[in-house]
Amino acid sequence: MAKEVFYSGCAAAAYGAKDARVEVISSYPIRPYTGIMMELSKLVANGELDAEFVHGEGEHAQVSIAYGASAAGARAYTGSSGVGVAYAMECYSPAAGGRLPCQMAIADRALDPPGDFGSEHTDVMGARDQGWIMGWAESPQEVYDNTIMYYRIGEDHRVQLPQFCCQDGYFVSHIPGRMKLEDQKAVDEFLPPYNPPHPLDPNRPVNHGPQIFPDQGSAINVQRAVAFDEIESVIEEVVKDYNKQFGRKYSPFVDEYMMDDAEIAFFLQGAHARTARFAVNHLRKQGVKVGVARLRFMRPFPTKAIQESLSKVKAVGTVETSTSYGGQSRGGNIIHETRSALYPLDKRPIVTSFMAGLGGEIVTLNEFYAMAKVLSDAVKTGKANDSYWMNFEKEVLDTHK
Amino acid sequence: MSQEVYEVTIWARGVFQDMEGRHASLLMANAADLGGKFVQAWDDYADLPDRVGVPLRKYVRLSDEEIEMRFVYVNNNPNLVVIMDDTIVKGMNILRGMPKGGSLIVNTRRTPDEILAFIPNKELLANIVCVDASGIAADAAIDFMGSEGGVEVASVGAGISAPLVGAASKVCDMFDVKNVVKVAANKDGVQKGFDSAQVKAL
Repeated sequence: MAKEVFYSGCAAAAYGAKDARVEVISSYPIRPYTGIMMELSKLVANGELDAEFVHGEGEHAQVSIAYGASAAGARAYTGSSGVGVAYAMECYSPAAGGRLPCQMAIADRALDPPGDFGSEHTDVMGARDQGWIMGWAESPQEVYDNTIMYYRIGEDHRVQLPQFCCQDGYFVSHIPGRMKLEDQKAVDEFLPPYNPPHPLDPNRPVNHGPQIFPDQGSAINVQRAVAFDEIESVIEEVVKDYNKQFGRKYSPFVDEYMMDDAEIAFFLQGAHARTARFAVNHLRKQGVKVGVARLRFMRPFPTKAIQESLSKVKAVGTVETSTSYGGQSRGGNIIHETRSALYPLDKRPIVTSFMAGLGGEIVTLNEFYAMAKVLSDAVKTGKANDSYWMNFEKEVLDTHK
Repeated sequence: MSQEVYEVTIWARGVFQDMEGRHASLLMANAADLGGKFVQAWDDYADLPDRVGVPLRKYVRLSDEEIEMRFVYVNNNPNLVVIMDDTIVKGMNILRGMPKGGSLIVNTRRTPDEILAFIPNKELLANIVCVDASGIAADAAIDFMGSEGGVEVASVGAGISAPLVGAASKVCDMFDVKNVVKVAANKDGVQKGFDSAQVKAL
């Protein structure tokens, strides 16, 4: 039976993994994702989940264990936060290149210095080009749902890729919310057992991850790239099925709020979209035609869906919660690909980047109002800076007055 | 454009009262939820992982509308402050940020006047409630499973949180004692806390 609960994002991820019937779990503690492993270890110890629970000696080992288990044919689960995500960097490409669809839960945490435990997407955004599926949830419910959906997307034989199933640390991982756990039978119907095409098996020897000659490299790379050609249609299919089976209303790629008649838009991923929607409610009362487009997948970057959504408006502010020091915009990461996605359009909006929520600082309603002012001015003047560091820019501070 | 949100801050001692503190926040949120309020109950992020005996905070937000300020880390302006161990009143400014007309609930064998002697900014209070919660409910077995985002295994409101929240419902109209009884494991404890609470209006 489906069950209503009051769970944090950590607990939601753990129960998503349980209902996905993960078979191997590898753990190593770091805040804020630790709660996920605490919860899973409890479920394994109580006999509620039949899985091998392995303690890695670090995050590098954790991910190695996960993709090793995946190579042997097990549905594998691991996770981390912040510097832990960075420490495992070496292991991401082998997992994706080996086409091993293990899942890694991420509860974001800022990178050092100093030792900050607030949420910032910089940790896992650093690994976005390794060939993993990657996207953010904005609520415990979405964490649970994504955990289940990602396995089906990643394990699809047209895809065969590992997944970063991300949530904002604290904002989602530590604040409990009302959510629904689905019936195990229904989840089993939605998510069939993992069926790897070439598992490691002594009776049917195969070679995984061998040393190759340089001229063999591009052939392997192109296969990983081709997986991303098919993935968007697989995601559309899986999200549609999930919505149908469990009565959800997810858009596959871009979750829109009041975008139909909007002139300006906030474009962001993760928890702060919640605050953005409240800001939109207030701004609409003052006659500001503003909307929110929330990105549900960073990888694959859904170019077509973004073109359809953002071409409706005249100015877009990407609200970044990660850094791209020295990058083209001198702001965050999302703007670069967003501009690039919109470039081929005949009529494209002005795109600027708002640096906010760094280090886990909250993005306040007032900051969203200030961003809206910058975007409205951009519509009038036809100009905007490449980036604005919220609360540190004279022109943004002026709009607060 | 700021929203009317009723804020509760609970002060507990690290490790041995971590669960009870969280249970107090859950009891209030669950009782208010039954009463039709929008609720939020959560642990202070910076106080965890907790250390033995170190003061730590648990929070509740209650409102008639969907809560907009969900991600603000702390309750900056608590309307209600709950103290799970009376020695905490001596150490720090427990009423910091409280708007005038707030309430203070203390787990103590002392009288309201004895406690007020330790509170320099008592003019912020509309009332103080003293209840011997530790005398009414034995300390529940300590269980660490619910901390850091975990799922509560122990039944919520079996220990001192029950009489404390029962006593709080005497001065707080955001949740009703009948609903606290419904959601707490120690129902008798809630009622005893409500009945034996010493309330002093200021």
